[in-house]
Amino acid sequence: MVKIENIKKRFSGRDVLDGADMLVRKGEAVALIGPSGSGKTTLIRAINGFVVPDSGKVIVGDKEINYKNKESLRQTRKKIGMIYQLFNLVERASALENVMAGALGRLDNGVNLISSTIGLFHKKERDNAMELLKFVGIEDKAFERVDRLSGGQKQRVAVARALMQDPELLLADEPIANLDPKTSRKILDLLLRINMEKGITMICVLHHLDTVTDNFNRVVALKNGSICFDGETHNLTHNHIHDIYEFEEENVEETRCLAA
Amino acid sequence: MSGSLIAIYARRVKVFLLWSLFIIIILLSFRVSNVDIKTLVEGFPYAVFLIGEMFPPDFSRWEKILLLSIETIAMGFWGTILGMIISFPLGFLSAKNTSGGILYYISKGLASFLRSIPEIVYALVLVISFGFGAHVGVLALSLSTIGLLSKFYAEAIESIDKNPVEAIQATGSHGLGVIRHAVLPQVFPLFMAYNLYQLDRNIRYATVLGLVGAGGLGVELFTQMRSFDYQQAAAVIIVIFAIITIIDRVSARLRKDIIDGKFMNKENKYKDSLLMLIVSVIAILSLYFMPVDFKQMAYGIPRTWEFLKGMFPPDFSGIAVYLKLMLETVAMGISGTFLAVAISIPIGMLSARNVIHAPLVYNIMKEITNFLRAMPELMLALIFVVAVGLGPFAGVLAIALSSVGFLGKFYAEAIENVDPKPIEAVEATGARFTQRILHAVFPQVIPLFNSYNLFLLDKSIREATVMGIVGAGGIGFNLVMSMRAFDYQETATLILIILSTIMLVDWLSSYLRKKVV
Ligand SMILES: Nc1ncnc2c1ncn2[C@@H]1O[C@H](COP(=O)(O)OP(=O)(O)OP(=O)(O)O)[C@@H](O)[C@H]1O
Ligand SMILES: [Mg+2]
Repeated sequence: MVKIENIKKRFSGRDVLDGADMLVRKGEAVALIGPSGSGKTTLIRAINGFVVPDSGKVIVGDKEINYKNKESLRQTRKKIGMIYQLFNLVERASALENVMAGALGRLDNGVNLISSTIGLFHKKERDNAMELLKFVGIEDKAFERVDRLSGGQKQRVAVARALMQDPELLLADEPIANLDPKTSRKILDLLLRINMEKGITMICVLHHLDTVTDNFNRVVALKNGSICFDGETHNLTHNHIHDIYEFEEENVEETRCLAA
Repeated sequence: MSGSLIAIYARRVKVFLLWSLFIIIILLSFRVSNVDIKTLVEGFPYAVFLIGEMFPPDFSRWEKILLLSIETIAMGFWGTILGMIISFPLGFLSAKNTSGGILYYISKGLASFLRSIPEIVYALVLVISFGFGAHVGVLALSLSTIGLLSKFYAEAIESIDKNPVEAIQATGSHGLGVIRHAVLPQVFPLFMAYNLYQLDRNIRYATVLGLVGAGGLGVELFTQMRSFDYQQAAAVIIVIFAIITIIDRVSARLRKDIIDGKFMNKENKYKDSLLMLIVSVIAILSLYFMPVDFKQMAYGIPRTWEFLKGMFPPDFSGIAVYLKLMLETVAMGISGTFLAVAISIPIGMLSARNVIHAPLVYNIMKEITNFLRAMPELMLALIFVVAVGLGPFAGVLAIALSSVGFLGKFYAEAIENVDPKPIEAVEATGARFTQRILHAVFPQVIPLFNSYNLFLLDKSIREATVMGIVGAGGIGFNLVMSMRAFDYQETATLILIILSTIMLVDWLSSYLRKKVV
């Protein structure tokens, strides 16, 4: 589904991505971890083309991303849903309007293009959006303006918007970092359910190591822009964690909790 | 040790010098703008007499007043609508994030140029080429609307949240879809609120544009005052006040709902529909009554060209006199603002809910500031000219009173928004009312007050430039005279001086504001 080959990216004289390789198969759910500044966000954004790598290639589906061609980049983005730490919703629009905006990429020709651009969506799309709001559990907030929703509710709207794209791949950059533990749990369960039930491939940046080991089979760790661990979660040993986060040897157990 | 002592002394000396400079400027301004307590005291019985003369207001010419009222409102509406239409693209062109290169600087420069010239100066100039009538008022109002709205629009566009924009791009949407679904929803409520604010402002100005023959109620007011028919003038003043107050209230209500995102939601549906209905009915009515003389408009364009050609080259021979007049104008602005600050501090305090616990007192005070705010400066000036005679002092009083309308309100809001905890703490020590104010309220609000004062100073100097139109001092008088004498080269020089002063003051006050706050 996603194949990343030796990509490199320099930002102001620093190698933020330094030859990372990664292969994600269809239907997989992968947790991406690594210390702050290790390049996780940069890697994720290279997959949907908001970061243009200096070298290397990214293949989504069976096509290599052509970063230079806007139209082909747009075609790639259509299939990729993105969830953000700060939700990135249009605060002054209603939940339903936000979800429907997720269909804009799909509705990209003929009458559909014009009508969706001016904000008139087909009833089918509207029903679809309502259905998704129900799926994420907030259909009662459909007409509420987003700035009046709680963080957890906002993230649900964002998830519904991503699903509205009918994506094959879901990217999530710290989707629960701004939520309280209970809400985090619910959002994570929602994302895992989407991966299981709908078979949507998922790459999820997380910071909480216990969450990763408890819920994901595969974990990829970035450090200084290259992959320093890639494998099954139960193979992630204390030594690895020590290595990734450069903890003091004795305190691995403690810091493991602190890193949470 | 001694180093820090020297630093402390240096600081004291600096503070002392700044205060002395401040006092000298105020005293000089008073001097130049003829602020004179004696005239005020002597004028006072006459002012009372004048108010007596106004009663009872004479509404016998109600048909004329009604028609002119509709015309006034129509001018405000059409000025706003035309201005809006042009400001929309201009706003995007003068916003950093949606424009670029030379286009950005041209658009931004154009907007700031357009807003530096007072509405009534546009009217004065346009009357020459387009003839008398409401169409000139509409043009004048649209020009200054473009200057203001496109700035507001651009600021709204520049302040958008980039995150949702990226999120919608990430769905693979086309560029237009991104603008429609990620940019517009963020700026649209703000645009609506600014439009309503501008409408409010334009109707306020429309009431006085008639003073120079650009249509609306102003002409009736001017005629009645000139013929000493104060009872009829009072009727016009009452109508002007009523119009401005109603529009102000309706627009404030709608603005609040729109910004809070409560517009047309369940609880406000009926109220907002009713308000919108009123606005639309007025809009349609005003369209119907709008006496735009298209022939005049068509002739006006070549005549404007002639007029502009007649301005070149500007005649700088009288520059020394003009600069002195400009100094007088600036002095009027400073004196007016200073008096307003002095009056507004007690008024602001008395109208703050959290300081005065008597609803009767703060409500009365609030109504007084509302009243003063609703009165156009030029109308106040017209009245003061009668009370204290021609000259800058009348202008200073007009500026001071209308500034009290703004400052009193701003101060009260600032005081109402202070953190209540320190007040309570001081109150808990058994402190008196005055001590409470001095030690708990003042320290919190002084920076805000200063920023409002600077804003008002800026506004007052701008107003002072046009006071001369009704004989209330300053450079405006010469502007009118040069036009009457068809001496357009002189007019050009005067406009240049006014323009550069306003821009200079604008720059200076935003510089000071950054330092103060
Ligand atoms: N557009 C940019 N311009 C310049 N530097 C950038 C840019 N984007 C990222 N960087 C730099 O690249 C480095 C890696 O950033 P990135 O956001 O990928 O880290 P991260 O692993 O997501 O960290 P965190 O856990 O804090 O989110 C940082 O040092 C950051 O300052
Ligand atoms: Mg990150």
